[in-house]
Amino acid sequence: MKRYDLIIVGAGPAGLSAAIEAAKRGIKTVVFDENSRPGGQLFKQIHKFFGSKEHRAKIRGYVIGGQLLDEARKSGVEVILDATVIGLYQDREVVVKLGEAIHHFKGNAVIVATGASENMINFPGWTLPGVIGAGAAQTMLNLHGVLPGKRVLMLGSGNVGLVVSFQLMQCGCEVAAIVDAAPRVGGYGVHASKVARTGVPFYLSHTIVKAEGYDHVTGVTIAEVDEHFSFIPGTEKHFDVDTICLAVGLSPMSQLLKMAGCKMSDDPKKGGQVPICDTYGRTSLSGIFAAGDVSAIEEASSAMIEGRMAGVCAAEYLGYIDEEEEKKELAELDDALNGLRQGMFAPGNRGKAIEKTEEGIDISKNLLKNGFVAEDEIERYPGVTHREGIHPVIECTQNIPCNPCQDACRQGCISIGDKITSLPIVTKDSKCTGCGMCVASCSGQAIFLVNEDCGDGSATVTLPYEFLPLPEEGSKGIGLGRDGKKVCDAEVVSVRSLDVYDKTNLLTMRVPKEYAMKARFFRKA
Amino acid sequence: MSERIAEHPILGTQEKGKEVSFTYDGKQLKGYEGEPVAVALKAAGVMVHRYTAKRHEPRGIFCAIGRCTDCVMVVDGVPNVRTCITPLKEGMDVRTQAGCTAAESEDRP
Repeated sequence: MKRYDLIIVGAGPAGLSAAIEAAKRGIKTVVFDENSRPGGQLFKQIHKFFGSKEHRAKIRGYVIGGQLLDEARKSGVEVILDATVIGLYQDREVVVKLGEAIHHFKGNAVIVATGASENMINFPGWTLPGVIGAGAAQTMLNLHGVLPGKRVLMLGSGNVGLVVSFQLMQCGCEVAAIVDAAPRVGGYGVHASKVARTGVPFYLSHTIVKAEGYDHVTGVTIAEVDEHFSFIPGTEKHFDVDTICLAVGLSPMSQLLKMAGCKMSDDPKKGGQVPICDTYGRTSLSGIFAAGDVSAIEEASSAMIEGRMAGVCAAEYLGYIDEEEEKKELAELDDALNGLRQGMFAPGNRGKAIEKTEEGIDISKNLLKNGFVAEDEIERYPGVTHREGIHPVIECTQNIPCNPCQDACRQGCISIGDKITSLPIVTKDSKCTGCGMCVASCSGQAIFLVNEDCGDGSATVTLPYEFLPLPEEGSKGIGLGRDGKKVCDAEVVSVRSLDVYDKTNLLTMRVPKEYAMKARFFRKA
Repeated sequence: MSERIAEHPILGTQEKGKEVSFTYDGKQLKGYEGEPVAVALKAAGVMVHRYTAKRHEPRGIFCAIGRCTDCVMVVDGVPNVRTCITPLKEGMDVRTQAGCTAAESEDRP
């Protein structure tokens, strides 16, 4: 039996981060992962991440995955792939299936970072080929380059449902609708808005009645539900789709911890069966730690910090650092993690209906019901201002922990302040040069550059554009409103694709000036 | 029919291994070496991977990461192979699975 100082199960964001912390202190560390490549789900995340600089905000997930792997390699972490950990026994004995053989290892400390698995929901026809997890769609699109289908219905309006809907469209799929039994959109408003403005309808308080088809999906019927989640007769709607994606939450994969004898709790706020552990991932068993989604469903940014915390705790447990150093390191990580756990979507606010922003502004009701901020609501947010010449219009209307826009503008046009969840404001007396860095840096694609009056009866609107084919200068088409419906004719006057924009193209369209504050997307005629 | 993504707005063109041939229920198909068998089948428009033992219902890809076992097929004579995490190789023999074994079922629909 081979012995290691530290055995880590799972080479995702939490496991790799833990391994890096441990290995740089000289701890002999091995990471087992059942997959044939490391990185967990990070390599499927192609959107820019939220947060601040220390959380690697505005960097795309797959790039963060690459950075983590590089760091792991440099710090000498040993990662063993195609290695399924099938048991965690007394005294930290780890049993691993490698090929067709079972191997036994002993860890002086063990960190379990096994992540989560997708939930499913059943309805007549749910087992038909063509009903897939949203994660499956992401895997097919972004890892393997194959379309799951042509026309898709998404069930679930949380961040996974919204982000995967956008990714499906980026690959040329049509998203027929986003459906959720809840009465409110579950994910970030900015994620919903970037999907809604392309014309995808949202059906809240609706769910699937049945999937149709003989040996694969050919259609789906949804219907409205009442407050008891019972179908309301006569509200059925049919869609011809070949794929139904389920984005109905995640459950921690905590089986190994339970098997080891850790004290567990059933906590719906954390996503299901989780180990009882302290803030830093120490479970009820000495020398066994948990990090990432396995201890509570959050996201990759927090998983990376939790991983580092567990790595530091393991280092102290194994005697590589003293308690004082551990305390100091953990305090810094605490601050980073607390930064991410602020705002309306903070773990503590899960399930709560929030009516007002931290600034006391009413939350857009239309955003929660239809996925976009209505015209009569948008003017009340501090990022939406009017002035002569080109200027940023920031349609960021919910308190989420994210601030890259404030650093993106060298002219100091945008301010969030010290509180990372505050709504961005456009500062007075600042001079926008139209460089577009704010548009490209906004992970929520919520910033537009607008010149409301070009002097000839027209206005220009610059918007983030991440689709193919990229319209050319001079293309004629239509301007779509926040609701994805046609508001006016539009012509593309410039398309900028600089390296610093990191693949977010900046499309500038000319529209009649009365549509300057209405047109938010372009579609070629 | 499903399609492969030729160019992606963020990821560009995705690198693939060399093209290989394999058989699906005796038919010749092509895919890329090392990609999951299920992906090569998906690109060829195959939706049904197996039929269930009792009610002969069709099943296909569900989770695509080796967790749910819905996509299992008979690969080179071995049943219950998770095609979504099994790398494609030249000359593989992939068959629709009936029930839980490699046996051809007589009452397959």
